[in-house]
Amino acid sequence: MKRIRIGVLFSYIILFIFAIITVFPFIYMILGGLMSFQETTSIPPTLIPHHFEWSNYAKVFARAPFGRYFFNTVLTASVTTIVSLFNSLLGAFAMVNLRFKGKGLIQLVLLSLLMVPGEAIIFTNYNTIAHMGLLNTYVGLVLPFLTSIFYMYYLQSYFGSISDTIYKAAMIDGASDWDYIWKILVPMSKGGLFTVGLLSFISGWNSFLWPLLVTNEDTMRLLNNGLSAFASDAGSETQLQLAAATLTVLPILILYLIFRKQIIKGVVRNDLKG
Amino acid sequence: MKTNQKKAWFFLAPTIIFVTLFSIYPILRAFGMSFQSGSLIDLRWTGFSNYQYIFKDPEFWLAIKNTVLYAIISVPVGLAISIMLAWIIFDKVKHKSFFETTFFMPYVTSTIAIGIVFRYIFNGDYGMLNFVLRCLHLHAPDWIDDPAMSLTTIIIFGIWSSLAFNIVILMGALRNIDPNFYTIADMFGASGRDKFWRITMPELVPTITFLLTMNVIGAFKIYTSVYALFNGQAGVGNSGTTAVFYIYNKFQIVGTPGVAMAATVVLFLIILFATFLQRKMMKKIGEY
Repeated sequence: MKRIRIGVLFSYIILFIFAIITVFPFIYMILGGLMSFQETTSIPPTLIPHHFEWSNYAKVFARAPFGRYFFNTVLTASVTTIVSLFNSLLGAFAMVNLRFKGKGLIQLVLLSLLMVPGEAIIFTNYNTIAHMGLLNTYVGLVLPFLTSIFYMYYLQSYFGSISDTIYKAAMIDGASDWDYIWKILVPMSKGGLFTVGLLSFISGWNSFLWPLLVTNEDTMRLLNNGLSAFASDAGSETQLQLAAATLTVLPILILYLIFRKQIIKGVVRNDLKG
Repeated sequence: MKTNQKKAWFFLAPTIIFVTLFSIYPILRAFGMSFQSGSLIDLRWTGFSNYQYIFKDPEFWLAIKNTVLYAIISVPVGLAISIMLAWIIFDKVKHKSFFETTFFMPYVTSTIAIGIVFRYIFNGDYGMLNFVLRCLHLHAPDWIDDPAMSLTTIIIFGIWSSLAFNIVILMGALRNIDPNFYTIADMFGASGRDKFWRITMPELVPTITFLLTMNVIGAFKIYTSVYALFNGQAGVGNSGTTAVFYIYNKFQIVGTPGVAMAATVVLFLIILFATFLQRKMMKKIGEY
């Protein structure tokens, strides 16, 4: 009996240690962003700032156009999310409800493309965008991401669980495909669409390599690129780097804490994320 | 009934257009470019010269060595820790969703931002990690500025980041195990250890296979976390360079896209091979 209790206690200790290791960087980031420069570099390290230096944030906004970065990021992440969701929705509908020649081939090609790592094609896509003269434009930032095989595949599994007889009944009642999509399919799979939208928005918010390639003007940078450039420029001013990092992370963290159930369920369900 | 509803192509049109332009074409183009030399605006066919170049380039071998080492250390360690934590949460804790929410946080947050925080924590002089190590009278290395430590630092950060996705997926799999298995095992007086090794682990094999594949693919693509940890560099003196770093450097900075694409093709083949190898391995374990 006593041995079991020690085992349980031991498990709890391990769990708490790892929970602290996971959460600590976030807490330290927020606190560090409110410290003075002396506090961030003191030995032993400061954990809780003596006085909250809110002026760090004013300095961050004064040094780099973070407002512009926010605008760019929200704009590109939203456009990518809405358009790719719309395209995936139409594609998934066709793959689930319609019968046509070549469906098997399309499915096979799309599934094999899921296996190709994005990093393998991102550089040649840069080439395409450069040829189109779209470097340093919003169109260039979003264009390759306006459709997502992954989300289409995800929605297919969602739509597949809606009985085909509903589609047939709607057709008999004289509804068009368009009516069916907007009046039946979308309302019935609201949860799935919302989750896909959230995941897509988060990955758009955190995108880094693509915007790094296709933009070099400060006004076109996204938040993460702005942040990494700022971190190099701010050099040793750790407190400002941490304040800027907090600005980048906090909006998504809040979004996550509000919708944590949907997000986790969505990730577990898709089982495929690449 | 043989119907051919041609209108399907109308609904698939946007997907097909974008996929052709930004997925299929670039793959073919990358493959083609790997046999071409010159700058982007002046490419000439030169056969296998790019491949000959990278196989002779010590920097390429360092990049591959670092990437492979990163994958074979961080993936199994990260997965083992994830299995342990998921099992503890599942088996022993009441507020499961609280811990799930906590451990999943790194998955949704920006690698660049967290990398900056880690760079600060890892700082050799005033970093929190070395402060703790010194308190415990352990060796406190220079995590960021010592070239010999670069890969270790990258691996630790990689393991920290990988726990989130693994734990959440494993929790999903644990919830799907038929609880009757455990009830019956209890009736026969099985110990906790027996239950874990004879019921839980075999039931988790498909999920672990899936996670291994995802983690290995992710590990071979490592780039952003290195960039963030070392402030845009690949560690001091390029000591922490990785395959994607090499590709980016050859493509964008040196301006030899052919060499970059040859490296891309090699990286892609390595990923395919690694995925194939471990699928076979896990199948063996599954049968056993």
